[in-house]
Amino acid sequence: MILLIEKKDFINAIHTTARFTERSGMSLPILSSILILSTSDGIKFRATNLETGIDFKVKGTHKGEGVLAIPAKILEQIAGSLVGEGTVTIEQKGDTALLKIGSAQSSIRTTPPEDFPTIPIPESPKGRVVLSGVTIKNLLSSIAGCASTSSVRPELASVYFSIEGGTCTAVATDSFRLAEKKIALNGKGVQSKLLIPAKNALDIAQALPDEEVIVTFDDHQCAFVSELGMFSTRLTAAMYPDYRQIIPKESVAEAIVLRRDLELALKRATIFSDVFQKVLLSFDPKKKMLTLFSRNTDVGETTEPIAGQLSGSAIELSFNHRYLSAFFSLIAAENISLTSSGVGRPLIMRGVGDASLLYLVMPMNQ
Amino acid sequence: MDRTNPREFWEHVLSQVELSVSPANFNAWFRDSHLIKIEDGIVYIGVPSQFFRDMYLKKFHMLLLKIVRGISYEFRNIEYHIVKDERRKPPRMDKAGRPTIELPLNEFYIDKSDNLNPRYTFDSFVVGSFNDLAYAASQAAITRPGITYNPLFIYGETGRGKTHLIQAIGNQFKKTYPNRKAFYLTSEKFAIDFTDAVGAGTANRFKDKYRQYDLLVMDDVQFLSKKDKTQEELFHLFNALHDNNKQIIFSSDRPPVAIPDIAERLRGRLASGMTVDIGEPDVESRVAIARRKTAMHGITLSDEVIEYVALTASGSIRELEGMINSIVCHSQVKGTVPDIAEVRQSLRSFTRPQKNVSVKNVVTKVAEFYGIDEESIYEKTRRREVVRPRQIIMYLLREDFSVSYPTIGSKLGGRDHTTVIHSCEKIRREVVGDSELAKEIQDIRTLLV
Repeated sequence: MILLIEKKDFINAIHTTARFTERSGMSLPILSSILILSTSDGIKFRATNLETGIDFKVKGTHKGEGVLAIPAKILEQIAGSLVGEGTVTIEQKGDTALLKIGSAQSSIRTTPPEDFPTIPIPESPKGRVVLSGVTIKNLLSSIAGCASTSSVRPELASVYFSIEGGTCTAVATDSFRLAEKKIALNGKGVQSKLLIPAKNALDIAQALPDEEVIVTFDDHQCAFVSELGMFSTRLTAAMYPDYRQIIPKESVAEAIVLRRDLELALKRATIFSDVFQKVLLSFDPKKKMLTLFSRNTDVGETTEPIAGQLSGSAIELSFNHRYLSAFFSLIAAENISLTSSGVGRPLIMRGVGDASLLYLVMPMNQ
Repeated sequence: MDRTNPREFWEHVLSQVELSVSPANFNAWFRDSHLIKIEDGIVYIGVPSQFFRDMYLKKFHMLLLKIVRGISYEFRNIEYHIVKDERRKPPRMDKAGRPTIELPLNEFYIDKSDNLNPRYTFDSFVVGSFNDLAYAASQAAITRPGITYNPLFIYGETGRGKTHLIQAIGNQFKKTYPNRKAFYLTSEKFAIDFTDAVGAGTANRFKDKYRQYDLLVMDDVQFLSKKDKTQEELFHLFNALHDNNKQIIFSSDRPPVAIPDIAERLRGRLASGMTVDIGEPDVESRVAIARRKTAMHGITLSDEVIEYVALTASGSIRELEGMINSIVCHSQVKGTVPDIAEVRQSLRSFTRPQKNVSVKNVVTKVAEFYGIDEESIYEKTRRREVVRPRQIIMYLLREDFSVSYPTIGSKLGGRDHTTVIHSCEKIRREVVGDSELAKEIQDIRTLLV
């Protein structure tokens, strides 16, 4: 088989698929390789690390059918060195692959392709949702960052999707903070719940195209199908805690401040925060001030008052500044509301006029 | 090889597989798999995801089939199931000691339809001489619900495992009779529900809601005292359920007769079935409980440490649990199982305060407790009502504050140290058999803290 691919397409395809290979190097060599196929369907690049899988269509011309597997690392390094226009030619020669770029020619030892696992697709899909790739990308990449990075509790290391009544609610929490985002769907029929491992969600979010994507899923597997190819991930098989019960209903103090003010004040407060990354937040409804305070014995201390609309009673709470600043990457609103429900209870952050996102942070022990 | 033991069976299969595939293949595909069960000649293998299942079917099915057939021809087929993530062992422990408070997510795994916490089962319940009667009564209530003991009233002091027992009844009931409805609630929840229903004008719906259950478990009924209207509602609910032979289970920290401010007709009904108490767990039971709890956390402590913990935590099982959690936390942070010296160090906060206390203070408190003149303690009188408190004072000074025998003797009116030894021994002996005395001493201890 001989493949002719534009440099631009080749680089893009390698970068996209390489993300789905096994990186640890401890496992099977085939899992660290990209499978290159030439079929009557066209050229396809495949990769999987047994958590996620990709089946990527690549533009180009091909002669003859065949399949070969090349270590992803080598392809990535080659792709990283390419500049300018031109084509890349891949030719199969026994168990080596000939790579021609311009007048340069390299031959690469391949991995036996027989061991390559099939990339599973949902066998009997329970649900099907059509969304634009941009929406899914934004949803996944913003929310998935709030999930737990530890694998002790697999459900918390996942993004929870609940599809009901024409709305898709995505939730992630690491038990110290929680983010919930709602998006509207086109159809109303589907009703389902699924848990996508957060790490897989991030990998897929980066590879998804902007165009329309069809999401199908069953109990164990979820696939994102687009013009460009298919992305697949396993689903977490676990119960998600009923997080709605911990969203406080009552409010002790509320503040509405400008996003810019809060963001800058928090940035400065971060400089002075201690090893626990502590920032003290004081609500003072009488003076209409929300004050940030942090102290570090090595650096000094800072007080950052922000004027805003405040109501309720005065209260002081400490937070890990990382959990507070993570909120800004989730939302674009100009005004931000902070609602406290008391000492030792979660703080709710929202964008004013944006009911789709809810962010919950637990305070620190005083 | 034992064919009926799944673990041994699977190990045998794996050892055969290892010979046939490359080590890299073996590590990638077989490390996370396990045998679920063998049923009707079909071997069920648990795999982590569909990737694995497809690969097993494509590549390893023939190999595995050959191996299990090699063991016996009774195995007809192999099936692959994708198992829940929780069943797979966690690769490492989370690091403890983060300063931010956690969201209380753990508490919300409770099944909402029946309020029961699935964590409480009979499997994790330790039966000892202190609770075997209560356990037997619970089993009887499950075998013949609504008939044998109705209502079943379980009482005992806080931290003795009442909630565990009654929730385990609920969970077992659910398992035994899948078509029947069980419901667990605390008396406080009942009272709130009732007032809410009255406030919202839906009292009738409230009545119907509770009458539909086949098993009603109500925790901590002592909190109903003084709530007259709620008591009346419970009285009617009780009658409705009892008349239909629906099992009712109550728990309380004291027997029905001792619950203050409760309507006589309700009191009578609470006591009308079987009333059992859970006593103080003996040392052997505490050792067994400590062992069970540490095993649940996945660590093994030496016998010495277990015994130390069981002896230090007298009375409440909750306190024992607290100690074990603290040891587990220590061992997770340090990465090793602590030895006896470390445990002693880390449990200092749990042991009784070893503070220096004035003898006078103890004498005053005890004399006050028994309503006798403080001076008489120091006198040489041998009146019965004085001798007992005096002995208790000596016992407390020795046990709780480690005052030496001669010092106790000289402080209490110049008595000989052998007299003190005799008194302490006497109380120590009696406290084991005499629950009345044990209770008195416990009460005095709370006064002294």
